[in-house]
Amino acid sequence: MVRFRRPKPFEALDDGRFRVKLAPDVRSFLVRLADEIDEIVALDIPETRRLFPTAYPHDPEKDAGYQVLSRDGLIEQRRTAADTVRETADNEVVTEDELAQWMSVINDARLVLGTRLDVSEDDEPDFDDPDIGLYLIYDELGYLLDSIVTAMITVLPDPDDGEDS
Amino acid sequence: MGAPLELQDPELITEEVVEEDRPWVVIVWNDPINLMSYVAFVFQKVFGYSKEKANKLMMDVHHKGRAVVSSGTRTEAERDVNRLHGHGLWATMEHDE
Repeated sequence: MVRFRRPKPFEALDDGRFRVKLAPDVRSFLVRLADEIDEIVALDIPETRRLFPTAYPHDPEKDAGYQVLSRDGLIEQRRTAADTVRETADNEVVTEDELAQWMSVINDARLVLGTRLDVSEDDEPDFDDPDIGLYLIYDELGYLLDSIVTAMITVLPDPDDGEDS
Repeated sequence: MGAPLELQDPELITEEVVEEDRPWVVIVWNDPINLMSYVAFVFQKVFGYSKEKANKLMMDVHHKGRAVVSSGTRTEAERDVNRLHGHGLWATMEHDE
């Protein structure tokens, strides 16, 4: 018997940076995700709807103003994140800012995939579903995202914790 | 992180001078995609909340469907909503009742 174990893919280092332990094919996959986000982020398609939520649900006029002011910036932010992932995907060690950009690409990819798959909160894999491949990718991205959160939360200052500011 | 957006366009807020006195609240809504750990992390990172407060707000979103995460002038609320949208959270704003 063996105990199921999976090495932590992201680990906070003493110098404030993070060690990345990911297989080369996972890294290439993240670059493909970054390319895809870059490609579709500015398109007005259902899959990107979740990337630009409504700010004023009860006031279409105010919301239109908000969208005009915010949309380009939100697109630009996502493209910057995609660039960073492409540039740093093979690095063994990344900075906090670089890892935040990885997190952005992975979370956006989950939003796009989750929208495409129309997931609900208590979804479980259905192996007869023709979309099962996409679903497993979605699930794996959730694992990577959660791993990044676990690593990065250790370096966030916590106002309740006197030593950590 | 990208550079913060300039959302303080004077034209945008001029017509709202009267309304500025009434606070706006920023609401985050439950959604089936965002991870609970991620949402709590974003509350800590964006607002500088303690882990405890961030987790409580996240659990409110999860169980009650929504939570008020910040409040302020319309400009401040729009800035917060924008930062939450930049992190992929489903955030809206409205006048405090």
